[in-house]
Amino acid sequence: QCPQKWKRVFCTLCNSKKHSRDRCPSIWRVYLLKDDAGDKALPMHRLYCYNCGRKGHFGDDCMERRSSRVPNEDGSAFSGDNLSGELK
Amino acid sequence: TTNTDYPWILNHDHSKQKEIADWLTMEIKDFVAYISPNRQEIEIRNRTISRIRAAVKELWPDADLHVFGSYATDLYLPGSDIDCVVNSASGDKENRNSLYSLASFLKQRKLASQVEVIAKARVPIIKFVEPHSQIHIDVSFERTNGLEAAKLIREWLQETPGLRELVLIVKQFLHSRRLNNVHTGGLGGFSIICLVYSFLHLHPRLVTGEIDPRDNLGVLLIDLFELYGKNFGYDDVGITVQDGHPAYIPKREWRDLQPGRNPFTLAIQDPGDPTNNISRGSFNLRDIKKSFAGAFDLLTDRCFELDMATFKDRVGRSILGNVIKYRGKPR
Repeated sequence: QCPQKWKRVFCTLCNSKKHSRDRCPSIWRVYLLKDDAGDKALPMHRLYCYNCGRKGHFGDDCMERRSSRVPNEDGSAFSGDNLSGELK
Repeated sequence: TTNTDYPWILNHDHSKQKEIADWLTMEIKDFVAYISPNRQEIEIRNRTISRIRAAVKELWPDADLHVFGSYATDLYLPGSDIDCVVNSASGDKENRNSLYSLASFLKQRKLASQVEVIAKARVPIIKFVEPHSQIHIDVSFERTNGLEAAKLIREWLQETPGLRELVLIVKQFLHSRRLNNVHTGGLGGFSIICLVYSFLHLHPRLVTGEIDPRDNLGVLLIDLFELYGKNFGYDDVGITVQDGHPAYIPKREWRDLQPGRNPFTLAIQDPGDPTNNISRGSFNLRDIKKSFAGAFDLLTDRCFELDMATFKDRVGRSILGNVIKYRGKPR
């Protein structure tokens, strides 16, 4: 992708090497939590995978080969990481 | 870009919001309020339908006229047409003679101009413009599936906060890119509703109940474009909404799904008929997916740009404007 290999991008907000700080998804991927968000549980039987269609995991965490040909380098909303600290 | 291009931001400046996602949430609410019909528009529509219903009953005492589609679920954009269906006790009104006799009866009563009778289609209809209100109306005959779908969608809207707002934004977005017409391979209204409904019930933050969607419409809109524009496995995954439980299903396990020549198709199981794929007509999925990905890029670029801008440069700006391209009469 980048012809200037010696210019490494690095994000000081989230430590990713995939984007610079001014293009970090954490700038816009911000959720306003409910007051009682802390005592929520993760119902495993209600998770579905956008990649293989099966139950029990999110699409970003799927072990099957990727179905979509668009790359997903930074991760999306549909990832186990996109939950509050406790639930990860 | 001056704010006259984006009339919903007039007197609604959110440029001082700390979080860009909150600004976008507020702008979504402003746009939805702006395009929602006012009392006067609702009354005109209701009166128009009442007049046509009265005429139908006069012509055929055993028949009645019902509305379905976006008008019946309150999910219509300004200037969209009204879908009606004539059902009768005898069930014999879906033939050429009936179509033409209703068409000429409405013309005589000055309730219809620019009348077209489309008798040969899979679903025969009469299309016309009601002269007083200039509203476009489609009438079909002897069917109930549209009415059942409208009833189901009204239930979904009741139980799913955020559904109405996101559906209207996605509809407007697809409309601006001419991708919301099934006849040209775009997405129909019911398919759009199913995509948003499924998204809202399967999103990690909503599965856990950590967030109220109404407080997070901005980030959810971006997450939605990201899912359907970049990540969703259209080749392998179908969407089902049986008995109010949105879920994914591997396409291989959907017995009644007719495998076409092209695996890259959208498959949404009809809640009223599990053998039917309601999005089978949307053959232009390539462009639909690309447009969603484009919306994600436009929105996130705009968020980065405005997040870095000074307060002075943020005043009077719109995040949504370039994405949804609303070009209507000022309201």
